[in-house]
Amino acid sequence: MKLLTAACVLALFGIGVSLAHFLWPTPLLFASFMLLGQGAFGLAMALYVAVIVRDLRSRKVL
Amino acid sequence: MGHDGMFSGDTENVMRWLSGAGVLLGLASATVIVIVLARKAEWRASAAARWALLVGLFVLPSMTMLAGNVVGLHKSKQSCTQCHTMDPWVADMKNPASTTLAAKHYQRRWINEDQCYTCHSGYGLGGNIKSKLGGLSHVMHYYFTGVPDPLKIHEPFPPATCLYCHGETAKYQKIDQHEDAEMKPKIESGEMSCFECHASPHPRKKP
Repeated sequence: MKLLTAACVLALFGIGVSLAHFLWPTPLLFASFMLLGQGAFGLAMALYVAVIVRDLRSRKVL
Repeated sequence: MGHDGMFSGDTENVMRWLSGAGVLLGLASATVIVIVLARKAEWRASAAARWALLVGLFVLPSMTMLAGNVVGLHKSKQSCTQCHTMDPWVADMKNPASTTLAAKHYQRRWINEDQCYTCHSGYGLGGNIKSKLGGLSHVMHYYFTGVPDPLKIHEPFPPATCLYCHGETAKYQKIDQHEDAEMKPKIESGEMSCFECHASPHPRKKP
């Protein structure tokens, strides 16, 4: 559950950076979106996949 | 009936729509995530929560990121002049008294838009991506590692960029040296720079 919460928080951070980049398309915010925003999204997705895989293993599906 | 106003197919207008779509997708994603976080822990362990997060953490963010990349990479074409480091070169380009090639190309509108990007990116998809990611690294240098002084071009300016417009013109082809059996292959292969004979496109030193 902690992993899932962490994934949600990271995704919210990524969304915040993305929204800022859409609303104020400056070079700094674009660079932040590319590195921090997408990085946070990527990590959030990876955590989500990890949670799903762990869940499936616990149910002996995998 | 024309396609003007908010439904214009103009690139800038398409980017505005994409930005709007990105904002909506991002907000939708955030809404899903907040709803999931606000529910009780038992519900968050349920299959319904997993499906909701598949949308909120995967599908919607993927589309948001795609829109963000397209808009951001498009905007990066116009971002050179937003950086104060480039102010002296931009000033030279806009100076009516300047005789540099960059100033002539800019002021006479030989290149109609995105002038920096047009000359400083290779043609084709690979060149576009390389130059845009290069621009991203410039922003990083500006904020984190500092701008090198003096500024130097990252790699020799490829003659192919000049030849893309000039190569097939009658004016270019009637110059003997351009068609010379020894020089022509060197120019076309990039072994010989245009600026070995022609003046530098920008002032050699910081203007």
